Amino acid sequence: MTILRKLWILGALAVALNGMAAPKTVTLQYRFFTGLPQMDGNWAALLAASDGKVYVGLACHGCNGHLVFYDSKTDKMVDVGDLTRLSGESGLSLGPQSKIHAKFGEGKDGRIYFATHGGWWFSYGRFATQEGYPGAHYMAYDPKTGRVQDFGIGPRYEGVNTGAYDPKFNRIYGLTHPRGHFVYYDVATGAKVDMGRMNNWDSVCRTLGIDDEGNVYGSFGRGGIYKYDPRTDSIRELSVRVPIMEKGVSLGRDYNKSETHWRTVVWDKQTRKFYGVDESATILFSFDPNAGPDGEIQRLGQMSNPEFAHRRDVPYATLSLTLGHDRKLYYAAAGKEFDYGASAGLAASHLITYDLRTGKTEDLGEIRVPDGGPVIGTNSADTGPDGTIYFVGAISVTPDPDKQNYGGRIGGGAYRLALFIYHPQAD
Amino acid sequence: MKFKVFALLAVALLRGALAYGQRPPDYDKVVVLQTRIDARDLGYAPVDIIPDGESGITSLTVAPNGYLYGATSGKHSHLFVLIPRHGYVQPLGVIPGATAVTHAVAVSASGDIYIGTSPEGHLLKYTPQDEDHQAIQIGKPLPVTDLGQPVSGESVFALTTTYFNGTDWVYGLTSPNAHLFEYCIATGKFKNLGVVASKLPLGEKFEKDKMMSRMLVADGQGSVFASGGNGAFFQVRVGLEKLEELPIHAPAVPGREPWTRVDAFLLDPSGVIYGGTSDGYLFRLDPSKLTVTNLGKPLNQYRIDGLVRGPGGKLYGVGGDEQEMARLFSYDPSTGAYDVLGFVDVNRRPYYTWQAYVIGAMASDASGTVYIGEDERVSKLYLFYPWP
Repeated sequence: MTILRKLWILGALAVALNGMAAPKTVTLQYRFFTGLPQMDGNWAALLAASDGKVYVGLACHGCNGHLVFYDSKTDKMVDVGDLTRLSGESGLSLGPQSKIHAKFGEGKDGRIYFATHGGWWFSYGRFATQEGYPGAHYMAYDPKTGRVQDFGIGPRYEGVNTGAYDPKFNRIYGLTHPRGHFVYYDVATGAKVDMGRMNNWDSVCRTLGIDDEGNVYGSFGRGGIYKYDPRTDSIRELSVRVPIMEKGVSLGRDYNKSETHWRTVVWDKQTRKFYGVDESATILFSFDPNAGPDGEIQRLGQMSNPEFAHRRDVPYATLSLTLGHDRKLYYAAAGKEFDYGASAGLAASHLITYDLRTGKTEDLGEIRVPDGGPVIGTNSADTGPDGTIYFVGAISVTPDPDKQNYGGRIGGGAYRLALFIYHPQAD
Repeated sequence: MKFKVFALLAVALLRGALAYGQRPPDYDKVVVLQTRIDARDLGYAPVDIIPDGESGITSLTVAPNGYLYGATSGKHSHLFVLIPRHGYVQPLGVIPGATAVTHAVAVSASGDIYIGTSPEGHLLKYTPQDEDHQAIQIGKPLPVTDLGQPVSGESVFALTTTYFNGTDWVYGLTSPNAHLFEYCIATGKFKNLGVVASKLPLGEKFEKDKMMSRMLVADGQGSVFASGGNGAFFQVRVGLEKLEELPIHAPAVPGREPWTRVDAFLLDPSGVIYGGTSDGYLFRLDPSKLTVTNLGKPLNQYRIDGLVRGPGGKLYGVGGDEQEMARLFSYDPSTGAYDVLGFVDVNRRPYYTWQAYVIGAMASDASGTVYIGEDERVSKLYLFYPWP
C-alpha cells in the first residue's frame, strides 16, 4: 500500500467519524430586512431600544446605507430611509453615506443617536477630493415623530468607524476612519470636537465603552486602554493592558485587522465592570475601571468556537457580544474568518455563553435558523428589554436569476443580511 | 485515486494561501517603498518616551555636526536630538513656557540651539552638553538661557539663524501680528523690524490669522526672506535693520493671493531658494535677481509641509493640510519632473503598520537621510532614505 493510499484512507475515516457525531445546534429565529436584499454588511450598529424596537444600520458598499428598525411588538421591519438622503446629500455625486458602522445609543429623550460612515475608500485616492466622501453626519431618530434630525457633518472627509452614545452627557462619541481621531458631538451645545489621533493602523479600535459615569474608554497600541473624562475634557492613557495572543504573521486576516487590543466590550451595571473580548483569539476579560487609579484587568477565558482553543488561526473576533438578563454573556463566534464579502468561506457560527455567576463557558452549538441553514457570521449583538438576544449577520440564500436578492457572496455562495432572534429562556 | 490526492493537495494549498494574510500588493502602490522608510519612537518606548498629546513634531533642524534637533507641540513642548551614529531619538527635556515650537528651532554657527516659544514668545538658548551621556528623563526641564521676549505680547512663530560678516544672527516672525525681529547673538540685543502683514485678509469672521510664512530663510549672502500679506515676499538685509516689501509674490491662483503664504523654504547650494505655498505650489526664488518661478503643483492637495534637499540635488517634500492625508513627493530640478511617492507609511507587519497623515516639519542631513516629523496627537519621527 502506498503512502498516498494510506493517507487517503485515514482522511476518509476522519470524515466518516466526523459525520457520525451530529453537531450540537442552537436554533434562532430570523427576519430579513424587507426590501433591502442588496445591503451587504452590518457592524456594531444594533440597538434593542427600551420601546421594543430594534434599530439596525445596514451597510451598502458603493451605495446608500439604510437605517431600519424591527418592531418586536408588531413583528414588522421598517426602513427609515437611506442615509445619503437623510444627510441631505442625494444628487450631489459625493461619496455616499454607506453605513452606520458604530453603536447606536438611546437618549433620555427617547431619541436614537448615531453617526454615519463611508463605504469604499479607493485606497484613499479620493480622500478629501471633490468627489470623495464628505464626512460623517451625527444624527438622531425620534421614534415619536418618525423623523431623523441631521446635526451635520462632524469629521470632514472621514467616517465614524467606531462610536457610542452617552445619555448622561448627551454626546455622540466616535473614532474616525481613516485617521483614527477621537471625536464627539455634544447634542445640547452643538459643539463638534476633535481630540486628535488615538489609533494608527497597528490598532484600529472598534468599540468605545462608556461607564455609568459617562467616562469613555477606548483601546490603542498593544493592548493599551485610554480614558476620556467629559468633566475635564481630557484623555488619559491607563497602565493596564488587555490580554492578547501574540502572533507572528496574521493568519488569514484582512490586512488592516489589527490584533492588538479589544474587539468589543459591554458594560455591566451590576458589577460596574466592562466585559470584552480581544481581537486576536477572542480572549474574554473583565475591566474594572474603578479598581485603583488605572483600573484592573482580569482574564476570564476564551469565547471562540472551542474548536480553535489554543490554536493560532482563531477567526477574528466578531463584534457580537452582549450581556443577557440571565447574567450570561452571549457571543456569536465565527466558524471561519468572517467579514461578509471578505470572509474566508462558509461555516456555521457558534453561540458561546459565559455565566458571570459561575464562571462557566458553554458552547450552545452551531447557530442555525429554523430551516436548518447555518448562520454564517454576525457582527453585532444586543439584548432587548425583555431579555431577547439579537444579532445581525448573514445567511445563505439561493440567487434569483431575475433580480438581486442577496447582498454579496461568501465562498461562492450568496448571502443575505438578517436579524437573528434568540430567547434564552426558551432553552 | 490520483484525482482525489490532487484535490486534497489543492485544498491544502488553498488553505495555505488564505493563511498568508499580508497587505495586498495594490495597496503597496500608494505608499513609499518599504525598503526606504523607517520610523522612530520619540524616546525609549513604552515608558521613556515623549507622551502622546505632546509628541507632535513641529520643528526640525540639522546642526553643523550632523545632529538632528527637533521640538514638539502639545500639552508641553519637548526638545529632542537624534545623533545619527546612534539612530534613536533622545528626549532632552521640556521646553520652559512652551506648548508649541513651530519651525522655531535653529542652530547657530557655534552649535547653540535657539528656540522660539509659543505662547510665551521667548527666545531660548540651549547649549548641547555631553548629550551622549545624558539619561532620558521624561518631564525634566530643558536647561536653557532665556534671552527674553523679542516682541511684547507676541508668540514666536518661526525662526532662523544666519552667519554673516563674522556675526551670528537670529531672525524670527511673531504671532499674531506678524512682526519680523532680529537678535544679534554677539550683543544680545533684539530689534523689531516691522510687520510683514498689517491686517487680516478678507475672510469669514472666524478667520483670525494674518498671512505670513511659516518659515524664514537666509540666503547666506546677507538676506533673510519671508512672505507676508497678499503673498508678497519681504527681505531683510542682515544687520541693516531694514525690512523691505518686494514686488514679487508667492504663486497663487489669481484672486487667492490674500490667503497665500509660504509654508516651506529651502536654500539650495546653487544659491536659489525653493519654496512651497499653502495652495501646494512649488516655486523657485532667485535672491540675486529677485524673481519667482512657479514650478507647479506636485500633488492635488493643499500645503507643502516641508521641503528638503536629497541626494543628487533632488528635492523632497510632503503635501497635505491638517484634514488631509499627507503624501511625499520629489522634484528633480534638472528635469523639472515630479514623482509622487505616496503616503508616509512604515509597514512592519505583523508588528505594526504606521502612517503619518499630518506632517509638521522636515529636515535632511549631509548623508541624504530625510527626516519627516509627524504632527499628530500620537507622533513618530520618520527616516526616509531616497534613492539616486
